[in-house]
Amino acid sequence: MPRSLLLGFITYGLLLAGIATVRGEFIALALPLVIYLLAGFLFSPDTVNLEATRHLSAERASPGAEVTVTVTVVNRGDSLDEVLIEDFLPADLTLRPSTGSGQRFGHTGHLIRLRKDSSFTFSYRVAGPRGGYGFESVRAQVNDFLRTTSRTVELEAKGQLFIFPPVTRLRHVAIRPRRTRVYAGMIPARVGGSGTEFFGVREYQPGDSPRAINWRASAHHADADMLYANEFQQERAADVGVILDGRLRTNEFSRGHSLFEYSVQAAAALSDALLAQGNRVGLLVYAAFLRWTIPGYGKFQREKILFSLAHARPGGSNVFADLEHLPTRLFPPESQIILVSPLHEDDLSPLVQLRARGYQVLVVCPNPVKFELSYLPKNKNVELAARVIRMERAILLQKIQRAGIQVLDWDVAEPFDQVVKRKLSRPPGFLRSTH
Amino acid sequence: MTLIAFVLSVILACASLAYGFSQAGMIDPARWFVLLGIVWILSHWRKLYWVSSLAFAIAILGAAYGVWNNFTTIWMLLGALGGLLGWDLSDFARRLSYAAPTDDIRGMERRHLTRTAIVAALGFGIALLSLVIRINRLAFEVAVGLVLLAAFGLTRLVIRLRKH
Repeated sequence: MPRSLLLGFITYGLLLAGIATVRGEFIALALPLVIYLLAGFLFSPDTVNLEATRHLSAERASPGAEVTVTVTVVNRGDSLDEVLIEDFLPADLTLRPSTGSGQRFGHTGHLIRLRKDSSFTFSYRVAGPRGGYGFESVRAQVNDFLRTTSRTVELEAKGQLFIFPPVTRLRHVAIRPRRTRVYAGMIPARVGGSGTEFFGVREYQPGDSPRAINWRASAHHADADMLYANEFQQERAADVGVILDGRLRTNEFSRGHSLFEYSVQAAAALSDALLAQGNRVGLLVYAAFLRWTIPGYGKFQREKILFSLAHARPGGSNVFADLEHLPTRLFPPESQIILVSPLHEDDLSPLVQLRARGYQVLVVCPNPVKFELSYLPKNKNVELAARVIRMERAILLQKIQRAGIQVLDWDVAEPFDQVVKRKLSRPPGFLRSTH
Repeated sequence: MTLIAFVLSVILACASLAYGFSQAGMIDPARWFVLLGIVWILSHWRKLYWVSSLAFAIAILGAAYGVWNNFTTIWMLLGALGGLLGWDLSDFARRLSYAAPTDDIRGMERRHLTRTAIVAALGFGIALLSLVIRINRLAFEVAVGLVLLAAFGLTRLVIRLRKH
């Protein structure tokens, strides 16, 4: 109930009582209330004209990093006796305790007096987990000094903050897609030419560098009176499709634990490394719905992929419960596909189909068994269950590998860059054949 | 500062009403007013600000009852005024709770208390004046007409003030 309404009812009640009983005392009782109401109305501002602007110290941040939000409210209308300013934080962002010595720091709500054409600036620090956050408006409640009148206005003060997943720097990721693009890159193209990796020996031709002459081979065939030259493998850019598995059934575990953040971290690191190698990289987030980032090159594409990863959330749907509905048409034929997924036993068949279509497939698999064991109590039942599941998983991974798919089984307790350095800095034996 | 003023206002309201009622021999209602004051202060401490509106309404009703039964008007008037101040300061304290510690809380408190005191003094003075000044030669119909005119005039005045 508005204060002026309550006061009005009581005042008019007393006045009516005075009239009805012909008693001046009732009128006398009502007089302080009348004066109070009048004073409130008299000093209430006629026009409220406030403007707000917002500034963020950074629009892109890493998880947990503090970002300073500065809001300035300017009064373009009448002087305001009492303004209650409140800024609302997007969900999941948390206010960090004030460490600055400056005034007006560390709080989202302020009660102030704002004179005509004056401004008020306040700041606070926020931090949060990976995601995209939008600041919309600031709420200002304008009261007269007795709060007999009160007006609430929403002041538009937009701002956006993207908290990108942490990007682990990977030195080199060795991939060998069957087909490469025409542009120079770092992926061996299975075609002879200039490069760094040995490809074969052929007859020396005019124009070949004398350094390329293979003297040993030439000496072996001295009677033929011919020179032989080493040929190197051409290195080109490749098309890479990174698929991030965000299905609830593979990522979510008991007691609210999730492997999804690790998968996101791996996808970010791999995309970054492959883009740095000059490849064309696209990202598909496969969760409750598909989120596709069109393939591209360079830093701009890196930003787009990180933006997509910032918004990635695990989700479940009947349609995308398994990998059967993976839209393979998004990926160029015979290109490299990297699936980041803890894997489910039903995923074997779709993966084999992918391989059969000519894609070179690498599965980066955060190990769910070791992950679950890290927080489950250690007893005989858990150990027995873990042993059974570990065996089932080993069989699944073996089957996948037998289909010619490279698997990186990642114990998330170990840093991703170390695992990649050990297992992905060189292509596996079955892919090293150049022909 | 606001808290002290609030407690004093509540004491003024409840003590005045209790004294006025006890003077008229109504001891039990006087005790009820003392209890009301305690409940009001405790509920404010527990941040149950809605109790303040209820207590204010009860104080006004009590004062009106006292006036109806010819109790000493000055105590009833002080009771109503104290109730009004208590209600105002309780709401102001609630608003202050939204302020950041770095805001100019002292300045706001000082300004609010000064202005409220002026308004209360003005209201009390005019009310007191209305009790002292008596016009005997005034027909009832004329009095009713004047009161209605005053109510209409007040409403018009408020509308006009708000427009400007």
